[in-house]
Amino acid sequence: MDFDLPPDDDPRRLAVRVWLARNPQPTGRQIAEAGYAVPHWPSPWGIGADAELQLIIADELERANVDAPYHVNPVAVNNCAQSLLTHGDDTQRDRYLPPALAGEEIWCMLFSEPSAGSDLAAVKTTARREGDHYVINGHKIWTSLAEVAKIGVLVARTDPDAPKHEGLSQFLLEMDTPGVRVTPIVDMSGRQEYNEVFLDGVRIPASQLLGREGDGWRLCTSQLQTERVALSKPGAVWGKGPSARELVQGLVEMHAIDDPLVRDEAAKLYIEGELLRLLAYRAFSDGLNAKPAGPEGAARKMLAAPHGQRVLELAKRVQGARGLIAGMQPFSASRPGAHTVFDDWDYAFWFSPGVTLGVGTQEILKNIVAERVLGLPRESDPTAKVAWSQAGDRELAGVR
Amino acid sequence: MNFALSEEHEFLRTVARTFVKNEIDLAPLLIPGATVDDAGYASNWKKIVEVGWPGLIVPEACGGSEMSCIDLAMVVGEMGRELVPSPFFGTLAATWTILRAASPEQRDRMLASVVGDGASMALAIADADGASDGPSSDTRATQKGDRFVLNGSKSFVVDAAAATNIVVAADSAGGRRFFVVDARDAGVCVDVLPWRDVTRQVCSVRFDDVEGEMLPGDAAEVWPWVRDRLLLVLSAESAAGIERVLESTVAYAKERVAFGRPIGAYQAIKHALADTFGTSECANVATLYAAWALSQQVPDASIAAAMAQAYTSDAYIAATQQSIQIFGALGFSWEMKNHLYFKRARANATLLGQASGHRARVIDMVARAAA
Repeated sequence: MDFDLPPDDDPRRLAVRVWLARNPQPTGRQIAEAGYAVPHWPSPWGIGADAELQLIIADELERANVDAPYHVNPVAVNNCAQSLLTHGDDTQRDRYLPPALAGEEIWCMLFSEPSAGSDLAAVKTTARREGDHYVINGHKIWTSLAEVAKIGVLVARTDPDAPKHEGLSQFLLEMDTPGVRVTPIVDMSGRQEYNEVFLDGVRIPASQLLGREGDGWRLCTSQLQTERVALSKPGAVWGKGPSARELVQGLVEMHAIDDPLVRDEAAKLYIEGELLRLLAYRAFSDGLNAKPAGPEGAARKMLAAPHGQRVLELAKRVQGARGLIAGMQPFSASRPGAHTVFDDWDYAFWFSPGVTLGVGTQEILKNIVAERVLGLPRESDPTAKVAWSQAGDRELAGVR
Repeated sequence: MNFALSEEHEFLRTVARTFVKNEIDLAPLLIPGATVDDAGYASNWKKIVEVGWPGLIVPEACGGSEMSCIDLAMVVGEMGRELVPSPFFGTLAATWTILRAASPEQRDRMLASVVGDGASMALAIADADGASDGPSSDTRATQKGDRFVLNGSKSFVVDAAAATNIVVAADSAGGRRFFVVDARDAGVCVDVLPWRDVTRQVCSVRFDDVEGEMLPGDAAEVWPWVRDRLLLVLSAESAAGIERVLESTVAYAKERVAFGRPIGAYQAIKHALADTFGTSECANVATLYAAWALSQQVPDASIAAAMAQAYTSDAYIAATQQSIQIFGALGFSWEMKNHLYFKRARANATLLGQASGHRARVIDMVARAAA
């Protein structure tokens, strides 16, 4: 056992620095071609990097103030592009992977629907085969990045007569296809992070099917479990933004740490933050992202999300009434290497109620931990075992 | 970077688990009214001596196996998992104090009896108010010629009644030092406290003109070093205890049926147990990190030990309380083990100071670095 992180003079670090010196302010394409967008992938996409080398590359890109590919195009790099690598065909890989990894084509996930969030397999959007096309009709919601995305990874029902989880398929949808309409949702923070996407008679060539018909649920599961570098940082919002370390730093600067109650709470948060950091590194060390991630990722998210909320809450609370003034920051110091909107303390706080909703609600994560880690009985779903087209009757029966 | 346990550590843990499973029986403590006198301290210790654990942290030069804090955490974890009643804690505490404070000659002589004769020891540091770090202690050592004579009292001395020798912190003209006394000296009076955690022997000790051999190390330097290692011991016990309590509670929730379903099918129960799994993960990683930091003597090892104890002691209390709640009234009865864990959790959270005190040290160190 060895908790040492790769030191500052690790030769692998120096190699990345040499590359960065030769390619100052690299384009996304250059980063991708060097294999630094998905270093853990095999060549030619990545460089077959182990966990440590991934950490090093992420560190060094951040130090050089380069936007990390997993921030630029998170859906592709963190979640979905991996499915193309394992389940796509050569044509799909050649067409979609290079611009995705270069961040030239942003991806979005067309998963959730108004009545299919936590219960994702309940999607109602249909994909009906017509000759060499599928025709899509439906309504997606809570889609990040849809306003800028060129590619949408779409989950739709191809077989309404199969059971709920088995009749789903995934498609690569070009977002400028006729019939795709994106409208913004303004969330409680006042920003537009999410969108609704309406799909009316959208025709997708059959060659855009990802994997096989009926593979949709399996693909979704693996994509949602994939966890990468971003989550190895204990930032308050899904691994991004400020962490408990910066909270303590800020509380020291404004002398709020001198209040004994604040001090003890800050100590608790600091300790939790350090332990979450260790847990994330442990997952890394296990090479978790080289193989399909297990339910332990759900446990870490279950711990990290409310922890992040508490970090942001304490920062906001010590501001007192001033904290209610829009845009008022608790601390003068801004985080070094800040790259995301969540590095804004004030914004991150007003966004924070969403942290236990997005990427799996807290309740669903606890179910996953209880069922898949502890082996407690599964929740019963009266709609799971029957043909989807009959499931509506079961829902009603469940209510009665 | 490799956070996984090595095969050797896994092996050590398996060996320890098998030993504890085969040799240790808590049944006598599950008879209502049982006290620590029923815990099998002496017979358990005899078995522990046979497998050589008293010498785990003793240097090879003194006949021990000189294991690291990570190795030790494996063994202590398994003992904590099953609440093994034995004077292991006191012996470790005294051994570390001797290792750090004694001259080489004293060290070799004093530790030889631990390794060779299976003598158990105790460390008397806390005063009647429970404080270990106070500016002056309730015990004084007076020099008479080249000898020292101790007078005063100590409390919350773990394993004193079982000990052959007691290491005592006392104030002397030269500052606070540790003194080793023979527990059979006529002036040593040990009273076993009616301690609620009946798996552990906790005593008050009075010293009336007791001769002590002074260890030269300054207590102000020695004690923090020893304390950090003892915090690791408590943390390892607690982390393993949480895991054990969670396992038994999950098993019960799968088995106990109410309203036609196992109670573990209800989300109120599921979510509570999922929360405890999360804290169990944190407790484990906190303990392993502290063990590694102490074994490598990294600069923040003291913070790591304080973090581990602060976190695991709170988490252990919560997990054992929850376990009784989920077992229902059954878990509230003396004949079940739930209360033994509940009491051990409370005891582990007080023996070396409260969690809030450890957090205060953590934040002091961190805030100083941030200022």
